[in-house]
Amino acid sequence: MFDSNFAIQSFPKILAVAPMTIYLSIIAAIIGLVLAILIAVIRERKVFVLSPIVGIIVSFIRGTPIIVQMYVVYYGLPQLLIALQRWGINTDSSGISAIIVAITAYSLNAAANISESIRSAYHSVDYKQYEAAISVGMTPLRAMIRIIVPQLIANLIPNFSNIFIDLIKDTALVYNIGIVEIMAKANIISSVGFKYIETYLDALIIYIIICWIFAKLFQISEVIIRQRVFATQRIN
Amino acid sequence: MLLEIKNLKKKFVNNTVLKGIDLSINAGEVVVIIGPSGSGKTTLLRNINFLEQADSGKMTFKNKRLNLANLSNEEILWVRRHTAMVFQNYNLFKNKTAIENISEGLIFGQNKSKKVALQLAKKSLDSVGLLDKQDFYPAQLSGGQQQRIGIVRATVLNPDIVLFDEPTSALDPELVGTVLYDMKHLADQGQTMIVVTHQMSFARNVASRVVFFADGEIIETGTPSEVFDHPKNKRTKQFLSAIAEDY
Repeated sequence: MFDSNFAIQSFPKILAVAPMTIYLSIIAAIIGLVLAILIAVIRERKVFVLSPIVGIIVSFIRGTPIIVQMYVVYYGLPQLLIALQRWGINTDSSGISAIIVAITAYSLNAAANISESIRSAYHSVDYKQYEAAISVGMTPLRAMIRIIVPQLIANLIPNFSNIFIDLIKDTALVYNIGIVEIMAKANIISSVGFKYIETYLDALIIYIIICWIFAKLFQISEVIIRQRVFATQRIN
Repeated sequence: MLLEIKNLKKKFVNNTVLKGIDLSINAGEVVVIIGPSGSGKTTLLRNINFLEQADSGKMTFKNKRLNLANLSNEEILWVRRHTAMVFQNYNLFKNKTAIENISEGLIFGQNKSKKVALQLAKKSLDSVGLLDKQDFYPAQLSGGQQQRIGIVRATVLNPDIVLFDEPTSALDPELVGTVLYDMKHLADQGQTMIVVTHQMSFARNVASRVVFFADGEIIETGTPSEVFDHPKNKRTKQFLSAIAEDY
């Protein structure tokens, strides 16, 4: 029988750890975005040697499940630090928390996905505007900053929003390395009370609310940015 | 002599697009380049302001000698800041209003203050009767209006030469006239222009010199009357007879 009282009592307890889910997603998205810009520039400028290497890493990350990547970082990062210690670089492998592991894995995953979105947003800007900008005497860098990048950002938001929502949902896996977030809390409460559907429904509702709020925020920011960049909500 | 090009060659992979072009232009001249599609007319224009880089050749512009195969970034910027281009598809900045499209080059290409740039932009928009569109974005303007703003964006910079790359080809027929009118007005004011176009009547009426271009070579050059009424070369005759337009 569905125990609605248990569900209601569990809800605030699960909701109380929602900040961890949001924290992980936001930090991973920010670090991921910074790395993604770097990756996109390297790949678009076809930087010697780096570009193909980065390309392979990106396709590896995009082609494997995030849980596997997380385990690789979980077991691999301490060993990497130990190896660095052997080479004389002062690192402390004992101090790595599960949070650092999760942020590392999710940031790398986000970086790979966002970098591809940046590239597609870049290619969707009509490049001839860049030619027009340099033909009126702007330097190439100025032409990028003044003309291409603002349009790129407007084009990037829908994809970035999708990636961010995916990040929120994917953080449900970090309980595997001992971080208590929404899914972990639901598991813990379930196993104590032997009532599963109640707590998982709670988790479901909390995820829906969080995802809906962020999706809405991105939607609003897209409208505002498009309005500012193109003076229209949709172009073409 | 304002601009002199010597033996300009350009190849795309195995396709030689320009086979050693020699062309010189005096200040105040309107040179109209005609010829079949794919003959390299646009590529020639793009090589003059270095949107493409030539494989070899020399250029003297404002008494400055340039080796086209080996240019420094400063040389490229210098030439671009003394020339301006009008594009077939206008290429207005979609994230800028009409007035900003015009002022960007003044501010960021010529280091004018924003105030001065906006004043100049306003004045030039007014001169073509588009001042009421100053706050419109390209998406809110017709093709004809966009191209006329494209022309203002180029000419407001007070360039030594304006390069027109088929400026009316993408326009609806009823909008072509207004753009050609603006161009003729510019020519009358003594603006040096190189115009690639299929508008033969414009070539006949406005050009000081017509250049017939085919297969990456200049086949024939002369006054409009020489080229249109008494073409010497067989290919020029063939081209002109193939054009249905009454020029």
